[in-house]
Amino acid sequence: MPSEDKPIAWAAYAAENEKTSWADQVEEEETGGMDFPPSSEKVIGDIKTVIDYKLNKDDKKVKVIRKYKLEVKKTSKSVARRKLLKKFGLSKDDPSGPNKATTIISEEVMMQFMSNKEEELLQDQDDPTLSKFKHQLQYYMFFKNFKGTARDPSTEEPKKEEPEENAGAQSGAPGKYIPPSLRAGGSAAGSSMPSRGNRDEQATIRVTNLSEETKEPDLQELFKPFGPIQRIYLAKDKHTQQSKGFAFINFHNREDAAKAIKSVCGFGYDHLILNVEWAKPSTTN
Amino acid sequence: MRPLMLQGHERAITQIKYNREGDLLFSVAKDATPNVWYTINGERLGSYGGHRGTVWAIDCNWDSTKVLTGSADLSSKLWDCETGVCLNTWETKSSVRSCNFSYCGNMINFTTDRQMKHEPRISVYDIREPGDSEPALSFVVDTKEMSKPMCSLWGALNEYLITGHDDGTLAHWDLKTGELLHSVRDHTHLIKDMQLSSDQMTLLTASKDKTAKLYEAATLNLLKNYKTDRPVNSAAMSPIRDHVILGGGQEAMEVTTTITKAGKFDARFFHLVFEQEFGRVKGHFGPINSVAFHPNGKSYSSGGEDGFVRMHEFDQAYFDFQLEC
Repeated sequence: MPSEDKPIAWAAYAAENEKTSWADQVEEEETGGMDFPPSSEKVIGDIKTVIDYKLNKDDKKVKVIRKYKLEVKKTSKSVARRKLLKKFGLSKDDPSGPNKATTIISEEVMMQFMSNKEEELLQDQDDPTLSKFKHQLQYYMFFKNFKGTARDPSTEEPKKEEPEENAGAQSGAPGKYIPPSLRAGGSAAGSSMPSRGNRDEQATIRVTNLSEETKEPDLQELFKPFGPIQRIYLAKDKHTQQSKGFAFINFHNREDAAKAIKSVCGFGYDHLILNVEWAKPSTTN
Repeated sequence: MRPLMLQGHERAITQIKYNREGDLLFSVAKDATPNVWYTINGERLGSYGGHRGTVWAIDCNWDSTKVLTGSADLSSKLWDCETGVCLNTWETKSSVRSCNFSYCGNMINFTTDRQMKHEPRISVYDIREPGDSEPALSFVVDTKEMSKPMCSLWGALNEYLITGHDDGTLAHWDLKTGELLHSVRDHTHLIKDMQLSSDQMTLLTASKDKTAKLYEAATLNLLKNYKTDRPVNSAAMSPIRDHVILGGGQEAMEVTTTITKAGKFDARFFHLVFEQEFGRVKGHFGPINSVAFHPNGKSYSSGGEDGFVRMHEFDQAYFDFQLEC
């Protein structure tokens, strides 16, 4: 049976389950007729486990296990008193805890940091004749920052591509605008937005065999000498926040990434020997 | 970070504000019901029912006992923060655009629009007096000199009132006489929002002319200028770091003609001193109308034209970030 595992920081307040919200009741009615074991709750230490049963999209019974971490927060007296206030207005009849109708936990968003170079590139061009280029460049930069959200699965990464060619397009001289159709990544003809997912991935390397103690700043330090880094993703365990032993590093230039692979692969780090290779294009979307 | 989406409004958010301790978040929208939320988990504590039109502004006093709202239904209302009971209503001749408590919480002000042949007016009341008593101060803004005020704030020691106007003017008004002390006009379009820094020394304005500007609050000296490529609807200063968030996006009327991906509805982070953009957070699918920092600086919220309030808790990456110069 598939199970989901969603630790939610604020769940301490979702804890009391005196009255179910109407949204639950509607769900229950919809699944009527099926016999589900009653949902159960267990609190062990600061971990609360809630087990529910429901039907999934394919009409199969699913067991849903949710783990909440209970937190005790210290606040001033006035804040603590206000937390216990009776609800009023439109929320008068809500049970305690967030109401699913008004409070939704949305998808993970990342803050996208921008490096200095991109900004300078934009500001250097004050010549009015270049304003059009500047505009397009801005768009290009903007889209470059949209990582992974709109990946076009139809344009698979052409494996044979020369790394230098692509790098040249990315770090091209500031004044020179290269239309998307002529850029290396966009040679897959036809698509109006040339494979921007690929461009990111092309300069991405995968580092494996990292030790558990590795932190993001360590990686930053390790890979900084090779060139500007766009993003570092270190896979971490949800509960312990320890590294799972692998990381992805997005460079701005494929050249730098290639350099990094050459130099760091086989490098001894924290008693382990690192394995560095090109990241495979994600096939999940 | 996983933002909490607060879905308590049917229409575009007009303003959001934290209380002083940061445990409550107030939101008002173009529907008639202001809401109050717990910031810890996004739970709605309640709503204030009684207005009949767009609510433009909301404020909470320093001990979070009273809430003031200003609405386009020609009234400003005072509420009990914890029960949602309406304590007083001030009827106006035109819609109320902004309202604020003074630092001490004993005085309130609100500004009204130029509408239906009524000139814009700035009114100040002492809420310790009975509800129907005369205003402590009420004066008309001379529209030959400057246009209607869009936002207002109390200045230091309740000596003056700061207003931001439709034509980009910033003005100081004497709170004893209603006299115009001085004004500056650096913005070329209307000032949508103003916020003071946590120490009340600097003032951050957000304008439709695609910039946000930082002023010295007491003198209105222009200190910094943050340029973007879209109208700025709201700007907030971090209480703990030298950071500024700008929220904006295209005009609401242009939204339908643009795709969301290129919509530029992300909150943009600028360095306070270097005026340099260093980060973006996306999420809204309409322009951001109001942004506010949590008083502890560890989270921020934004309210958008899409009707959602999003509460963001910063990741460690934000605190680790240092601008390379």
